[in-house]
Amino acid sequence: MDGFLSTPIGILAITIAQTLALLVPVLIAVAYLTLAERKVLAAMQLRKGPNVVGPFGLLQPFADALKMLMKETIVPSGANRFLFILAPMLLFMLAMLAWAVIPVNDGWAIADINVGVLYLFAISSLGVYGIIIAGWASNSKYAFLGALRSAAQMVSYEVSMGFVIVTVLLCVGSLNLSEVVRAQQNVWFFIPLFPMFVIFFISILAETNRAPFDLPEGESELVAGFFVEYSSMTFALFFLGEYANMILMSALTTILFLGGWLPPVAVEPFTWIPGPIWFALKICLCLFVFIWVRATFPRYRYDQLMRLGWKVFLPFSLVWLVITAAVLKLTGWLPA
Amino acid sequence: MTWTLALPELVLAIAGLVILVAGVLPKQETFFPVSMACIGSLLLAAVLVLGQPEGTALGGHYVADDFSGFMKLLAIGGAAIGILLSLDYNTKEGLGRFEFPLLMLLATIGMMVMISANDLLSLYLGLELLSLPLYVIAAFNRDSARSAEAGLKYFVLGALASGLLLYGSSLVYGFAGTTNFDRLADAFSADSGVTAGVVVGIVFVIAGLAFKVSAVPFHMWTPDVYEGAPTPVTAFFAAAPKVAAIALLARVLVGPFGDLAGQWQQVITLVSLGSMTLGGFAAIGQRNIKRLMAYSSIGHVGYALMGLAVANDVGLRGLLVYMAIYVAMNLGTFAVLIAMRRKGRAVEQVEDLAGLGRTDLGTAVWMAVFMFSMAGIPPLAGFFGKLYVFLAAVQAGFWTLAVVGVLTSVVSAYYYLRIVKVMFFDAPAGALDPAPASLTVVMAASGLFTLFFVLWPAPLLAAAQAAAAALLG
Amino acid sequence: MTQPLLAEYFPILVFLAIAGGIALAMVGGSLLLARQKPNAEKLSAYECGFEPFDDTRRRFDVRFYLVAILFIIFDLEVAFLFPWAVSLGGIGWFGFLSMIAFLGVLTVGFIYEWRKGALDWE
Repeated sequence: MDGFLSTPIGILAITIAQTLALLVPVLIAVAYLTLAERKVLAAMQLRKGPNVVGPFGLLQPFADALKMLMKETIVPSGANRFLFILAPMLLFMLAMLAWAVIPVNDGWAIADINVGVLYLFAISSLGVYGIIIAGWASNSKYAFLGALRSAAQMVSYEVSMGFVIVTVLLCVGSLNLSEVVRAQQNVWFFIPLFPMFVIFFISILAETNRAPFDLPEGESELVAGFFVEYSSMTFALFFLGEYANMILMSALTTILFLGGWLPPVAVEPFTWIPGPIWFALKICLCLFVFIWVRATFPRYRYDQLMRLGWKVFLPFSLVWLVITAAVLKLTGWLPA
Repeated sequence: MTWTLALPELVLAIAGLVILVAGVLPKQETFFPVSMACIGSLLLAAVLVLGQPEGTALGGHYVADDFSGFMKLLAIGGAAIGILLSLDYNTKEGLGRFEFPLLMLLATIGMMVMISANDLLSLYLGLELLSLPLYVIAAFNRDSARSAEAGLKYFVLGALASGLLLYGSSLVYGFAGTTNFDRLADAFSADSGVTAGVVVGIVFVIAGLAFKVSAVPFHMWTPDVYEGAPTPVTAFFAAAPKVAAIALLARVLVGPFGDLAGQWQQVITLVSLGSMTLGGFAAIGQRNIKRLMAYSSIGHVGYALMGLAVANDVGLRGLLVYMAIYVAMNLGTFAVLIAMRRKGRAVEQVEDLAGLGRTDLGTAVWMAVFMFSMAGIPPLAGFFGKLYVFLAAVQAGFWTLAVVGVLTSVVSAYYYLRIVKVMFFDAPAGALDPAPASLTVVMAASGLFTLFFVLWPAPLLAAAQAAAAALLG
Repeated sequence: MTQPLLAEYFPILVFLAIAGGIALAMVGGSLLLARQKPNAEKLSAYECGFEPFDDTRRRFDVRFYLVAILFIIFDLEVAFLFPWAVSLGGIGWFGFLSMIAFLGVLTVGFIYEWRKGALDWE
């Protein structure tokens, strides 16, 4: 058996098994995130939410999926057919691809590359392409406007996100995501870097086009933004990609600021619970805040959104970055 | 630390940043104070250049010697006077935005880095720092289609030239294994270093730099850009960046590639011949005086390159003297062109100068001095510039160059003297507006230099001699 | 598998293949299973029920372009910061101050574009 596992085919088989072992739970999580969102929103608005399909509506996501599958795929007559189909697939693939480097537990990253942070940053930047392609290929004004807005918004917040990530890297001294988590043995980074944590969380709201920054979709003005022309499974792919991105960003927050798989305190009852559970719990916490924010805040105006990104977050995170670097340098706390 | 050697560039860079912030913060437009501050910083940098010790710095990327000092002073002078020339024009044309002098300042830093470059990388860095502001100021008159076209054309072709240069540099690096000029020279002095790849690389580098000095066959952008850009920008283009690019060309060819002179002399000779010929003939038919000056500048570059083609100390001295005199004449000429306004509107046809001798004798006389000097008529400065390069060519046996040079001088004298004829013998086309004081000062200063260079040539000659020696040494 | 560096990236390739497979299967499955009955009205671009007025591919606001340009500048800055942040412990005060000088130059540019209104949307 050992002999087989070290052959190229064996390694391939193991990798495929690992990949599926991660992707299937992620996809199921995505499915139930849609349900959770509706349930939580309903609870906050004193409603019941979906409760017909299955006990407590637990089968609702599958009913939705089946419905989507049986719908007609419409490619508008003016659209660029190839790009039109490519865009949702690209977005979905990118959302999945990023998971390859996420360490669920110590040493449990499927691809434990030494530039994991850079990889995640690159993959999340590529998401803009999916949106621009979708908006362009649809050849519809709403889609195009939504895509432009979405792209401008995402790139605006990516800059401050970059600065925040660099600040964390200063405290870690490595681009490896597992190293980032290990560096938080003593204290989770959201405590010393609290302002950056707040900026990061708000930035990922904008990055994932979530409320209160959901202008690209702006259902009351742009109908659905860049995917207004999509139907059936192509629409479902956008939806999946978007929710998978939410979970991914929550995972990234967890890794960068909330100590990844580490328990809150390294004492007896907490250490009994395995790392992946802690990791999942922290992600759920972040996702809950995502939904909570959606239920609470009204939508931003576009000029306010851009001002917040460029005139508040960017200078603030830049200054905080320099201060962090200077403090670490002066105190000699820099990782060697 | 050795970086203090680069003090002029550093001071200028910091001054540029400070002026940028100081210029953008006030509510009202700060064109005039920023211009003054830029000129002040340039003068300060010039003083620092004068006091600069010799040596290399920044890990061998930067070199300061007599040659760099000479060329930097020329470039700084050209830039400072360029800003001075723009003061009045830009205000009247509604181009009085403070970015203008600042971009010139940034371009000047690029020139200084280029001149002091001792490595293919710092060469490229300086070239880009020079080029990017130039693209912007060429298109500075945003509402004019011609200016926008000039900027765009310059940008596209300039990017292409940068690409060629970079490609050549990478070839040289690939075949020689280093980008440092000193080590490149070492590599090539051991005669095993000459391979076809290196020669191709050198040709590409020359092509990239020939674009910047607008030498034939890379001159095509020049007439359009010179005509389309605002006139002070044209003046600046014709003076400062050309000096820097010529300096760079000389340093690169004589320094690291000095032992390959046999290879590149043919290229430079051809470029020089082509530039002289084109500059002599193409300008004849021009009606627009800025376009005419563009062809004239191509021709002058051809003469200057003659000195480089000779590639010895006499030739280089000729090149340096030629560039110094060229900058002085050109700034004076452009001061006259910038002063060409009728009823508040800028005019730029040769015919608009008609009868200037009767309506504004002072300006007409200065213009005549510059035109005679450009044509190379003794005893004006332009004559001596040509004399030194022709002498060098003859001494070294480059007879073709010298003969073609003399012949094209005669041809080009036609269109220079035609301007003088238009000014003094044609019926007035209506009086031009009186020239503002800043332009008159520039005209007078460069006019006096052109007139009386014959009396005190020694300081310039000595400085050029020392600079040439430093380059060859 | 001989090169450990590339071997680390192998799972990403597998991820790409599987994710692409899932995406294709979903779109293809829907195309096969669902009844496709297109007509001209259904395929016209959505514009709140009106006939589409004119083509979408025309000029749009230049500010999006401006945002893209600014993004490139600052994203490059971030890209420079990554290696610096990771190696700050080993490059001493010279490395630290070099980056501070770089950031200072960028800050000057930032002040300029702020004052020039490049960051204002309306």
